Amino acid sequence: MNLLTSAARIFDLSLGQMLWSRRSVFLGLVVGGPIVLAVALRLAEASGLMFAPNRPRPAGAMIYGMMIWLLYVRFLVPVLGVFYGTSLIADEVDDKTITYLFTRPIQRTAVIIGKYLAYLVCTVLLLLPSVVIVFFLVVPLGRGATIARMFPTLLTDLGMLALGLAAYGAVFAFVGARLKRPLVVGLIFALGCEPAVLIAPGYLKRATVAYYLQTLVRHEMPQNSPGAALLQIFNEVPPLSTSLIGLAVIVGLGLWLAGRTVESREYVLEQ
Amino acid sequence: MTTRTRYFVITSLLVLTVGLGTGLLAYYVGVPGGFLVDRDGPEELQYVPRDAALLAYADVREIMTSDVREKIRRAMPVHGDGQAQFQEQTGINIESDIDHVVASLQPLADGTTAGLVVARGRFSDVKIEALMREHGAQVEDYNGKRLIENHEIPQQVGDTLALTFLEPGLVAVGSGWGVRAAIDLQKSGENVTKNTELMDLMRSLDRGNAWTIGRLDLLRTGWRLPPQVANQLPPITWFSISSRVDSSISGTVRADTRDEEAANNLRDVVRGFLALAKLQTGSRPELQTLVQSLELGGTGKTVALSFSVPGAVFDAFGANRESAEKPPAH
Repeated sequence: MNLLTSAARIFDLSLGQMLWSRRSVFLGLVVGGPIVLAVALRLAEASGLMFAPNRPRPAGAMIYGMMIWLLYVRFLVPVLGVFYGTSLIADEVDDKTITYLFTRPIQRTAVIIGKYLAYLVCTVLLLLPSVVIVFFLVVPLGRGATIARMFPTLLTDLGMLALGLAAYGAVFAFVGARLKRPLVVGLIFALGCEPAVLIAPGYLKRATVAYYLQTLVRHEMPQNSPGAALLQIFNEVPPLSTSLIGLAVIVGLGLWLAGRTVESREYVLEQ
Repeated sequence: MTTRTRYFVITSLLVLTVGLGTGLLAYYVGVPGGFLVDRDGPEELQYVPRDAALLAYADVREIMTSDVREKIRRAMPVHGDGQAQFQEQTGINIESDIDHVVASLQPLADGTTAGLVVARGRFSDVKIEALMREHGAQVEDYNGKRLIENHEIPQQVGDTLALTFLEPGLVAVGSGWGVRAAIDLQKSGENVTKNTELMDLMRSLDRGNAWTIGRLDLLRTGWRLPPQVANQLPPITWFSISSRVDSSISGTVRADTRDEEAANNLRDVVRGFLALAKLQTGSRPELQTLVQSLELGGTGKTVALSFSVPGAVFDAFGANRESAEKPPAH
């Protein structure tokens, strides 16, 4: 079997496993959080509880932009990448089922590629519908519905989030294939190191996914926190072409390293 | 793939398809009913005072990326980079940082007018504040907002130049009075959307991506024109200009006069000008298309003049300019 056919087989097998794992149920609830928040905002507006009469209502487009930055770009995309990406190989090792995959007449790289594609489809199908629903609920809030005007932004957001998932997934696929406790390392990197590096001066930020991803976000970054102020001072946004190339390199390099690791590493199953 | 996986994939794709389809429909066609279309104008109107005498809107991003703008730039290159100068002064790049702007003029009791521009886009408040401070501005807290105000501006302006961030990505620039009023409007809610006459006029416009509505009789009081000149001007109350800038520029100029007689007089004057323009442009083919597109209309107290300038007109201008600049062959 060639690499692509093998990867397609692994993809088919892994997609169902990923979607119906306990992890997906938990992450489904996390992804549903923004929808619940959006519904609450709509109800608050409709009932007049939250927005006092004779006061300007907050612009829906602004709230949507903040949700994209704070919930999706800064939290959900890295978390989905960490949880699913690190588990591509680590779960098989923990469940001691990796032997069944590696004893099949397929290349080991096909295993990681097939699982990575399943991760991408699974996370995209979880996250993007959530963004679309939030968009339609939140953007018409306040004065003047602007769905028509904001539609190109929605398309950019969907593309940007899919690219973010692809990049984080590739990085954490490598981490999961290489390290023994990948989830802890992944969470420290995604929620600790990466945001810290972004607000620090220097070139280290160029080694992060968020550095390239932020160029693709067309919304204004929320500026009411000390972290955001620091981020603005040391803010260095690469051009669009650099960001796209950077993300493509991260995906390619991450997958290549993950494939190489899986091909060469001997996984010792604990008894 | 198991059945429930298939159901999940189908449901997920269905949500995406319906969402994107609806968005696409709203973007290209516009669906009536106020849910999908921008029926009541831009949301930044909440910062414009109720008694504004002039209200204008421009979708800067759409205009800046339009074909016709590129053609105009080629046909009439501007000497002196004003855009770069503006960026140096404020840290705002008009081409990439601004999405759209709403501008207004409000007549004040002392006969002057307070100007305000509210721009939506991507701005760095730290950078902008630092640049304005470099140019002598001072920062104060006004009703919970940081107001950056420059008092060192020419005397004839009559007021200070102020700037504040009303929301993330929303900056208000204008006279000190105008910007303070915009901040106050966040609490009072007495904004231009309560001005029924102006809002009705706005709703009646085919707005396009740039439009202006003004109350000429109110603006005139601020111009302090000599009575001899003021008496010669037609008695226009409201005027509006709506246009769409994409691969061509098309739009309508509309004026509402005090009575029908004034409207008829104005129509006669415009008709005369149109006839004169047709005569004058007989030998200028690049202008003929423009003049031929002018169409006079309107009934009762309304006079309307619609126009359409194809992009090719600017190409012709550019070609004429280039041939005029080319040194004669020896």
